[in-house]
Formats: sequence, C-alpha cells, structure tokens
Amino acid sequence: MTPGIVFDIKEFAVHDGPGIRTTVFLKGCPLSCVWCHSPEGKDPAPQMMHTPRGDRIAGKAYTPEALAVYLNNQVSILNANEGGVTFSGGEPLMQAAFIHSTLDLLEPVHRLLDTSGFAERHVFGDLVRRFDMVYFDLKLMDPQAHRTHTGVSNAPILNNLQILSQSGVPFVIRVPLIPTITDTDENQRAIADHVYSLPGLLRVDLLPYNQLAGAKYPMLGMVYALHDLEKHPVNLRPDLFLSKGIQVLCH
Amino acid sequence: MPLSERLIRMKEAVRRGDHHQYRQQHVPMLTAESDVLGLSWMQRQARLITAMCEAEQVVIQPDERIVFTRTLPTVPPVYQNEDWACLTAERTLHELGPISNICADWGFVLSQGLLGRRDAALATRQRCANQPETVEFIDSAIETIDAVLALAERYAKAARAMNQGDIADALTHVPAHPPQTFHEALQFLRLVHAVVWLGGHYHVGLGRFDQFMWPYLERDLAAGRLDNTSAEELLAEFFISLNKDSDLYPGVQQGDNGQTLTIGGVTPSGEPATNDLTLMVLRVARDVSMIDPKINLRITADTDLDLLCLATELTKKGLGFPQYSNDDVVIPGLVAHGYALEDARNYTVAACWEFIIPGKGLDVVNIGAVSFPYAADTAIRAGLRAGESFEEIMERVRHDVQAQVNRLVGTYSDLLLPPAPYYSVLMDGCLESGCDLSRGLTYNNFGIHGACSANGADALAAVQKLVFQDQAVSPQQLLAALETNFADNDTLRCLLHEDGPKVGNNDPQADVMLVTLFDMLAEACEQIEDNGRGGIVRPGTGSAMYYIWLARGHENMREPAVGATADGRKAGTPFSANLAPAPGVRVPGPISVFQTFSKLDYQRIVNGGPITIELSSSVFGEPESIRKVAMLVRTFAQLGCQQLQVNSLNAETLREAQFQPELHQDLIVRVWGWSGYFCELSPEYQEHVIQRDFYEMG
Repeated sequence: MTPGIVFDIKEFAVHDGPGIRTTVFLKGCPLSCVWCHSPEGKDPAPQMMHTPRGDRIAGKAYTPEALAVYLNNQVSILNANEGGVTFSGGEPLMQAAFIHSTLDLLEPVHRLLDTSGFAERHVFGDLVRRFDMVYFDLKLMDPQAHRTHTGVSNAPILNNLQILSQSGVPFVIRVPLIPTITDTDENQRAIADHVYSLPGLLRVDLLPYNQLAGAKYPMLGMVYALHDLEKHPVNLRPDLFLSKGIQVLCH
Repeated sequence: MPLSERLIRMKEAVRRGDHHQYRQQHVPMLTAESDVLGLSWMQRQARLITAMCEAEQVVIQPDERIVFTRTLPTVPPVYQNEDWACLTAERTLHELGPISNICADWGFVLSQGLLGRRDAALATRQRCANQPETVEFIDSAIETIDAVLALAERYAKAARAMNQGDIADALTHVPAHPPQTFHEALQFLRLVHAVVWLGGHYHVGLGRFDQFMWPYLERDLAAGRLDNTSAEELLAEFFISLNKDSDLYPGVQQGDNGQTLTIGGVTPSGEPATNDLTLMVLRVARDVSMIDPKINLRITADTDLDLLCLATELTKKGLGFPQYSNDDVVIPGLVAHGYALEDARNYTVAACWEFIIPGKGLDVVNIGAVSFPYAADTAIRAGLRAGESFEEIMERVRHDVQAQVNRLVGTYSDLLLPPAPYYSVLMDGCLESGCDLSRGLTYNNFGIHGACSANGADALAAVQKLVFQDQAVSPQQLLAALETNFADNDTLRCLLHEDGPKVGNNDPQADVMLVTLFDMLAEACEQIEDNGRGGIVRPGTGSAMYYIWLARGHENMREPAVGATADGRKAGTPFSANLAPAPGVRVPGPISVFQTFSKLDYQRIVNGGPITIELSSSVFGEPESIRKVAMLVRTFAQLGCQQLQVNSLNAETLREAQFQPELHQDLIVRVWGWSGYFCELSPEYQEHVIQRDFYEMG
C-alpha cells in the first residue's frame, strides 16, 4: 500500500464541520483555482517551503496505520465533543485508496469529507458512502468560466453532486466568493437554482475571499495572480439563497 | 450588557490618567523621626501605614460611588540606607523585600469589620500584657487599624460636605463595621485593599471574591435593594477602580501586578461554590475589558458548559483571562503536600498561577526557577565531549536540576521577611495569637518553577534520537554546531528542528523527556524536608519572565544565558513560556498539546503554571465557536491537566500596534501570568507575544 501524503493536520478546526474536529489535509489537487489559499496542497509530492521561520518540507508520508493511530488517540475526545474527523486537501479524492484504508482502521467517529467533487464517478461514489457528511465546493456554474479559473471542466463535478445527492449522505455546498469571479449575482443565483431542490442539502456556506490567500505562494516559488483583488469588496448575496428556501451561513 | 455612560466616562478617565492630577509630589519621610524615637522595625511598619493614610488626600470625583484614589505615588523606606544594609546583611530578601503574593482572608475581615479585628487585638493584648514582643505587635496592628479608620472618616466627612450622602453613609459604617450592603462591602474592600498596597506590599490578590462577597449581594437582591443591573453597575465601578493605580504597582512589566481574583470551585466542605456572582464577575469583566482584576476560574471535568461558554465570551475579548484551574487535580495535589482538605478546597490563585490558601498561607510561591534548558544543555555538551552514553547525560541533568534546587533553597534558608502588622490584621489568627504574619502562618512552603521545559525536553529528545538512536548526527558535529550557533551548518539546525521529537505533539519520546525533567525537579524538591521555615518546597510549571531572561541573560540571573541548543534553536531565541511547545515548533493543535501535558504527575507538581494556548481571534467569529472553545476547555479538565490559559490573538493587529501604538492604546494581551496593555510592554516581550504560535483555524 502506498502511503498517503499529508501536508497538514489541524486539531480544533472550528470551521471544518460540527463539534471539535481534527482535519487531515491531503496533498495534491487536480484543480488550479487562481484564488487557492493552500498552494502547497496542489502538487501531490512533498516540496520545500521557504517560510519566514526557515525552510520546511510541506508534505509528509503517512501509512494508513500511522494516521489511524494518531486519529484513534483522539477519537474519544472528538466523540465526547460532538465532533469528528475531516478529510480535506488539496483534493482528498486524489488519495481515495489511502483514505479507504485509513477509514478501515478508524474507530467509530463522525467522518466528514471536504471535496471539490472532481473525480471519476465510481471513485467519488465509493468514497462518499463511507462518510457521515460531505462539504462539497461549487465554484462557478458557467462551464467556460469554470475551465478558465480552475483549469478543469465542471461537468464531472456536477455529475458527482447528483451522485452525492442520491447517496443519502447529508451535505453542505461551499461557495468561495472571489470578487468579480465567483461572487457575481449571476453565479450565485445559478448555484442557488442548481442546488435548492437537491435531496440531502443541509445548507450553503458562503466563504468570502481570504485576503491572506497569496501569502504562501512566494514561499513555494509560485506566483499569485490575484493581488489586485486583495482590497476588493466581496459581493455577498445570501438573499439569493434564502429566497430559494436554502439555509445560508456566511463565514 | 454595554457599560452605562457613567461607567464609560470613568473607564476612559482612568485610561487617560485624569486622576494623576491628584498625585502628590512628596511622600512622607519616616526615617528621621523613627530614628529619633528609636522605633523598632515593627513599629516603623505601623508608622508607615499611619503616615501614608494621614498623607493621603481625599479625592471624590463626581461620577464615583466607590471611592479612594491613591495620591501618594511611592512608598518611602522605613530605614535609612546604611541601617537597612545592616539589618539585611547576610540575609536573603524575597524580591523587593516586603511581604507579597499572599492572600488575605477578606471574608473574615469583612465579617468582623476593622473594629471587630481591633477587639480581637485588645483581647490578646490583655491576655499577653506581660509579653513585650506581643504587646508591641498588637499595638502596631491597632495603630494601623486606627489609621485606616481615620482615613475612612476623612473621606466620609468630605463626602458629606459635597452632599454625597450615599458615599458618606457607607464610609461612616465601613470598614469599621461589617458591611450591610453589597455597595458597602465593595467600598470596604476597595479601601482596605488599597492600603495594603500603600504599605509597600504588592501582588495583593483579592481571593475568592464570589464566595465572600455573595452573601452581601444575595441579601440586597432578596430585599430588592439591588437588581442585576444595578449590582453589575456597582461591580463594574469596583473593577474600574482597581485599574486606577496599576502604573504605581511594582512589576517586571506594567500589568504584572498580581491583582487577581478567583471564582468558582467548591466550598471548604466540598459543595459546589458557583453562584450568581460567579456569573456576574465573568459578565462584568467582559464588559469592562481592562487589565485588572485578572480572573481565575476554578473548574472540574464536570463543570457546566454554559459557565464555560460565558467564560469563553470573556476570553474572546482578548484579555488573556480567565485562567482555568482544575480542582480535580489541584485539590488532591495540595492535600498530598500537607494541606488540610478544607483548606485545599479553599485555594485561590496567587499573582500568576500558584495555589495559596487565603488567610492561612505564607507560602513564598516563587523563590526562583530551575532552568531546564541550562540543565539539559550543559549535560549534553559535557556528556558528548566526554563520550558518555545517553543515560549518563541524563544523570548529569538530574544532578544539575538538584544542584539548582539546592542553591535556590540554600539562598532562601536565611530568608528575611519584614514585619507586616497591617497585613497581619487581615490574616487568620495573627491578632488572636499575637504573632506577626512574618513569623509564619499555617502554610510556609516555598515554590520553585521548572522553567522553559519544552526546550529542555526537546533538546534531550533530539540528542537521544538523532545522535544515539539514528546516529544521523555525530557528537562532534553537534558540539561544533552548538558552539558556533549553527553558523556553518543550518542544514543540521533544520534537521534537529524538523526531525527531533518535539513536546506538544503527543510524541512519546519528547514527552518522556518532559515528564522526566519534572520528575527530577519533584525529586529534588521532595528531598528538602524543611525549607528553613517549617515548610516544604513545591515544584511548578511556570516560566514567568525566565523565557526571556534565560535566553538572553539578565542581571538578576545567576546562570549565564544559554546559547544555541540541540533542539535546533539559535542563541538568543526566547524559550517556551509555561507549559507550551517551544516557539516555532509546529504542532497539530490543542488536543495534542493537552495530551502531552496531561502526562505530568500533578500530584507531585503542584505549584501551578498553565498550559498556554493561543487561538486566532478568527476562531471566535461564530456563535458556535464559543461553544467549541468551551468544550475545548472542558477537554483540558477531562484529560486531567492542571491549569490553562487561553489567549485570543490576532498577529496582524499586534503588528499594527507596534507601528501605530497611538491607535491601539487599549489592546490587551496575556504576557506570562498576567495581562497588560500591549503598547506598554518593552519590545522583546511584544515580539514574543507576536511570535507565539497560535492555532489558526479554517
């Protein structure tokens, strides 16, 4: 079994699901969202980061056993506090086999998958069924715009959303609001139209653009393209969702 | 509830320092007169209180309902320099000299009134009329009581003249008599407490405030004299008044003044002690948002989540308190160290962290710190040079820890505590027995902290793993790198820093080193049967200013600064404060940190010193987050840890405050065992606060 590559583990991740949670960030992502605030999650391989505190390698290999031992050490605490374990990324679906093996070893605990939804349908379907809740990103409804800003088509994502909705696993739609790109009225309305009737939808989270998103790019020798947006106000339209009867949480 | 306009005016006036206009240029001079009269030390201490009370000028500001504004900026000496030198020659003074960092039995004093205490003194004087030493003490104590009563009378008279009947009535009744109302109780405490500071004492704590004040509030609420709103208004004014003199208190940095109070916990008989005043203190401290008083909340694994949510709302303010102490481990730990069960249940938290018993404890809770990085570093360097095994290196550490403890205790074996007749009035049994508190109370223990433990443990764990087990680094390589501060070998420094096991990760290897260091400290302390005052020595986990002093050197430190260390830390970098991962060490978060520190044996390590965690202020964004932080606090207690300090920090705001202090005058941060205004800290402490790792969420 090949080990998983984890670029971070965060305990007490208050924004990653109910209760007290520990989030495992898996390295590697097929999307190239220009606004990504975790650029070290993009490349599947470990890489050097030149941080203000010195160099460190982002990405550490874990066997499913090692990760499960770490998580199982906390399960009683997570269970006692309405929480659980979240798998995020990067795109965790890229390491689906590793996650399957880890889940096989994990003691009973609430499991949440935080995903872009971009994967082959059987990979997606097989994995989501093993989770208690899914956080599913929807960025852009327009196919061309999606390709321009994330580098991939949104067709597989929308297909997988249907699979998720039919799976019976409750899910939250997460929309990153990037000024002038994803925060347009048109896009927010299109997302609302697309998701409001889906069985299993718990709510929509609106996530305003993180102004510090560009900080890590130079540490990885990468260039951040969105500096112009750093002071741009975000168009937050929860009303477009509420009017469709969707519960909304603005972060 | 937002503060009323009156309180906002008062708070702003205190922050601006409007009351500084009343401060006098000159303080009374005592020494010449005392020399002529041939006064003893005891009599001089009483004379000091009298002179200060007499010289205090009455200040009653229009908005005030609880009065006393200190106008004497300094406390004069009671001996001329050469006489003082003679008196203290060959003796050890604790810090600045005067008795400090103990807690009066405020409840007892309130219940008797100062006249009640005076009667007790007179009874003893009659009984011991033929014992000159006792008579001198009692007369001195009575002199101080009379001085405070005269000061109260002057305030009452002035209030009457200003048609402030409410204040005049209160001060006619208290502190002479037991308070009849919550208002009188607060006025009593304000005055009697402030006079302790006037006598040169410092770190004057307020003890179990919600316990001894509750009966007065409860009566007023039941009788309809107060409702919750009017009671909170009074309490808020009292809290604001405690901030008036902060700049006059001695401390390493401004804010380090030990004006703490403790709430919650259990009664001496073991019943749950939380009451409506406990909640009110949390609410009012949140609304007032000033550095004083610093709040300590006693909890257990079963503490109600609603109480912890309310406490978290105070944490959200970013003041760095409340600090939590876990009764489940503190009380049995104190009992294991010879404290009676009902006294242990009645503990309060001293200036920073240490557990003391109001009215009964004359513990000197911080006689100094053992430098774990020094013990580890000298052992590593000497051991590697001598080609020793890791076990032999650990043996060197054990010897050094023991030597440091013995040296501290040796120095304090001739501790000289000045007489304190006024403070004795406020303690259990001093007037009744006729003995000044400097001669000892029920508990006379010392405390020693094991400082900067994470760095010490990390250095040892790195050597064990990378030099001895993996043999990835040769002893010569490591020695050369340490001696040159990694000048030519940053690769090695990164290896030590990244691959060495680190405290705070629930890592068995690093945590064994941590536990071993504290076991060595406990063992060294336990070998001391008598500290010279009939007490023992309590080991603790705090760091105070040592995380800077041990790293950079300081005139008050016997040990030289520690250079580069084997955990991959360069010379000059500050060490870990209290119980926390070393600065710059990556940890997954607070759960692993709690798991690491839950491994310490808190039945042996009983002097306090908190796990310190920093949460990004963004954590507190949503209502649900308050509940999650409260659950995290409960987890700390459920894992059997001893003490916790949770800070809410926004590194960006702190950076801004460094560049534009004028825009951030009210920004408050927790420093080690206390909170202060960020802009009033010196740069090295500001920098450490910013660099402290915090768990950024999202």
